[in-house]
Amino acid sequence: MATEHPTFSQCLVLATALKLLLIPAYRSTDFEVHRNWLAITHSLPSSKWYLEDTSEWTLDYPPFFAIFEWLLSQLARFFDPGMLQVNNLNYASPQTVYFQRLSVIVSELVLVLSLRRFVAIQDGPQAKKVARIIALSLLLSPAFLIIDHIHFQYNGMMFGILIFSLSDALTDNLLRSGILFAVLLCFKHIYLYIAPAYFAYLLRRYCLGENLLDIQIVNCLKLGSAIGAIFAAAFGYFTAIGQIPQLLSRLFPFSRGLCHAYWAPNAWALYAFTDRVLILLAPRLNLSIDSASLGSATRGLVGDTSFAVLPNIPPRVTFLLTLAVQLVCLAKVFMQPSPTRFVGAVTLCGFASFMFGWHVHEKAILLPLVPFSLLALQDRRYLGAFRPLAVAGHISLFPLVFKAAEFPIKSAYTILWILVFFMTFDTVVPVAKSQRIFFLDRFEIVYMTVGVPLILYTELFHFAIFGSKLEFLPLMFTSSYCALGILGSFLGFFTLYLTS
Amino acid sequence: MYGDFEAQRHWMEITIHLPIGQWYWYDLGWWGLDYPPLTAYHSWVCGKIGSLVSTEWFALDSSRGYESYNQRVFMRATVAVSDYLVYVPAVVIFTKWHSRAAGTDRYDRSIALATLLALPGLIVVDYGHFQYNSVMLGLAILAFASFLADRLLWGSLFFVMSLCFKQMALYYAPAVFAYLLGLCVSFGSRGGEDGESRGGGGNGGFSITLPAPLKVRIDLQTLLLLGVTVVSTFAVMVAPFAVFPGAEHGAAQQLAQMVHRVFPFARGLWEDKVANFWCATNVVFKYRELLGQTALQRISLGMTLLAILPPCGLLFLRPKKNLLPWGVAGCAWGFFLFSFQVHEKSVLLPMVAMTLVVAGGLDRDLLSWIGWANNVAMFSMWPLLRREGLGLQYTVLTALWSWLLSLHELPSSMFAKILHVGFYAGAIALHVAEITVTDGIVQRFPDIWVVGNVLLCFVAFGSIYGWVLYRMADEAGLVDDLLAVLGRASEEGEKERLKKVE
Repeated sequence: MATEHPTFSQCLVLATALKLLLIPAYRSTDFEVHRNWLAITHSLPSSKWYLEDTSEWTLDYPPFFAIFEWLLSQLARFFDPGMLQVNNLNYASPQTVYFQRLSVIVSELVLVLSLRRFVAIQDGPQAKKVARIIALSLLLSPAFLIIDHIHFQYNGMMFGILIFSLSDALTDNLLRSGILFAVLLCFKHIYLYIAPAYFAYLLRRYCLGENLLDIQIVNCLKLGSAIGAIFAAAFGYFTAIGQIPQLLSRLFPFSRGLCHAYWAPNAWALYAFTDRVLILLAPRLNLSIDSASLGSATRGLVGDTSFAVLPNIPPRVTFLLTLAVQLVCLAKVFMQPSPTRFVGAVTLCGFASFMFGWHVHEKAILLPLVPFSLLALQDRRYLGAFRPLAVAGHISLFPLVFKAAEFPIKSAYTILWILVFFMTFDTVVPVAKSQRIFFLDRFEIVYMTVGVPLILYTELFHFAIFGSKLEFLPLMFTSSYCALGILGSFLGFFTLYLTS
Repeated sequence: MYGDFEAQRHWMEITIHLPIGQWYWYDLGWWGLDYPPLTAYHSWVCGKIGSLVSTEWFALDSSRGYESYNQRVFMRATVAVSDYLVYVPAVVIFTKWHSRAAGTDRYDRSIALATLLALPGLIVVDYGHFQYNSVMLGLAILAFASFLADRLLWGSLFFVMSLCFKQMALYYAPAVFAYLLGLCVSFGSRGGEDGESRGGGGNGGFSITLPAPLKVRIDLQTLLLLGVTVVSTFAVMVAPFAVFPGAEHGAAQQLAQMVHRVFPFARGLWEDKVANFWCATNVVFKYRELLGQTALQRISLGMTLLAILPPCGLLFLRPKKNLLPWGVAGCAWGFFLFSFQVHEKSVLLPMVAMTLVVAGGLDRDLLSWIGWANNVAMFSMWPLLRREGLGLQYTVLTALWSWLLSLHELPSSMFAKILHVGFYAGAIALHVAEITVTDGIVQRFPDIWVVGNVLLCFVAFGSIYGWVLYRMADEAGLVDDLLAVLGRASEEGEKERLKKVE
């Protein structure tokens, strides 16, 4: 087979050049968060890691990530020891910026390698071609560019591990898949959201035989001991010194509100939007308004969200809703276990927790977005469900990078990505085997056309018309718009998953 | 402390607040306007738009030295928008016409276009250092594209606009003049043959043929129309100053002041450290101690004329479309190397002009040389870029450019191989030395790395000038002619020798 251009490495070089040029770009407080973790892990014994609270950005990732930071800090010494002092709050010397930005770029090689592996496991030239396009779309994804390389996080590495694990699952290498996922959980606990899919699938395919009663004892022992060993490696020490309650309180801070300051585009954003609209309509409809909570959802504080007209949502409701959706997917994958259905289940678990979860962060959109990308090119129906997510998921990240200088970069790059990859997707996707869903089709076109004027309004015209007044308005529009797209994509994919 | 950013901002400030009659006069001590009128109009537009966002940015007098985050973003945006409105379309159009004339295929055409859009030097100077060179270059390229499309009058209009945006476009002017004159004047027997490449006025108009011994045919109609276009474009550009001169100065005085501001003859032979003939040989001959200002100016003028004579002469005698970019590049190199008052950023002019030739067909040798020349130009600007903290952009853009053009593939000739590799070795050695050596020799000669940079780049630029002339001669068929003549001579010699033997 002739090599196709542009090759994977060519794209990698170009993307890396762009990322290097973005080193001086805007960075969020997450930069300081990670700098603080470098300092904590470097200058304190591990028994103090989860106790230290000089900075408000305490260590709240599981131990493997802390160890990763410790490893980085060993190199950071040679760049600038100043960044490794716990008291140097908001320290950002040029060397610190270069070191941390470069660590993101280099650690993203895990994602690069995992994508190569994902392409390598496909059989036949056509499957390889399709997988290559998916791999390129993830490698060049605006989501990673915005979140990791501008906003600052290490998602590239994390999702690299996830894709390695999913690739193993696709090739029925289930033990290794499970081990990798356990490792991933010990890096970043947000992946607990998709853990149910792993649990169900590994239980069904690895621990039980064809007949459900035919329990594979050897496999159970292998998987159990491997995962146990990994968790012991991560948490054993902290258990020994009795810090598990402290560690858990850092990992799961339950005191936050339903919506984040900027509403992540999920069901609750639509709910909150409806509430805001009802406030305006309340006098006509004779609804009673809880005036104490008028400003709450839009004040922009990380705190409790309360609604003025609609009933408030207790955490229990979000939990139950998420669980209900996840259980449906799990039942399906348990009954008909197949590798692609498993990836679908992972996607839906991500979707469900994003749509209905408590205090969801907009960055969590990667959780459904990445595994869905791997399935998006199966046929036209999948692609049709994927497109609104790809548009809305990326646009929903725009408010993360809110400074004027990055506006052209994020919007031009995202629009270019959408154009290039949507056109490429169209050329390789086979026609659906069964009837398309009429509604979804039309919805998609209208939805995408609305996107561009919306970006222009929220990023440019709003400022020109209102100045700095009504700051929450563009954010509310963005998040409601994106929530609609993600909801559509979720429903579309859910239907496909259950019916296929 | 302040540089081009403040100059451009200040021009926006004065153009939007003062009547046009004061633009070239107002408090010249603080970054007074010293670019031609089109830049002033452009500043006016940018200033007006910017003032809609914030009146503070360009408030008269009180905004001097003003900088804020949003204002910086706005100023950068004006560069980007100007670039996309002028340079990008110009390059697209030029590539289309040049590749059509040269018969370049679609794939090569896309590569040529990408090459022209990715010029690291232009990006780093306009977007990093802060200037609007892409407007001047874009207008000039639009002019070349029009010439290639046989639209001579449009071409001369655009070229005059380019000159009126930034006087630096004069580096191209002699070549453009020679090309246009060459189209209007044809010599005896070759007159008919050149008919095809001649455009604009066509053959139908009136022309005169000089008496028999000279055999020169002059296309008067085209010549006249070109003259009228050039003069009237200039007139329109400067007219506002003559029509609204204000109370204090007369119209003539306004124009004289403009010329005086745009061409500051009183400045020195070179500014800062530039990799041209004067600065490089100044290491050995201290010109300023040996000769007076006037004598130096004359010598410099003479040497510049000598250097631009071959490319311009060739363009005049053979005004072929494929020779136009070569001639313009050769002419610009002549200016850069020998003329008066050259900035390190002026290297953009010859650099962009010589990169234009890629639209006429790609071969390995060509890409290697042009890629290399761009790297040399980038390296020659390193002292400036380092001062401005553009080290990251310099490194990434140069590396990306070298990778895009596969510059590890060297040209075929041994001389060129040694030259390119030698330059890279020297440049890397200088970079390493600059980082690692901090005492000893540096204390005695604080400028040592800059001087090394100048000397290295001068040798490279000199060779590039030579290579451009050689390729142009080759392109014009002179090399083949010469070889044929030599071949015939040796053939005849052989025959005679055989005769003698018989």
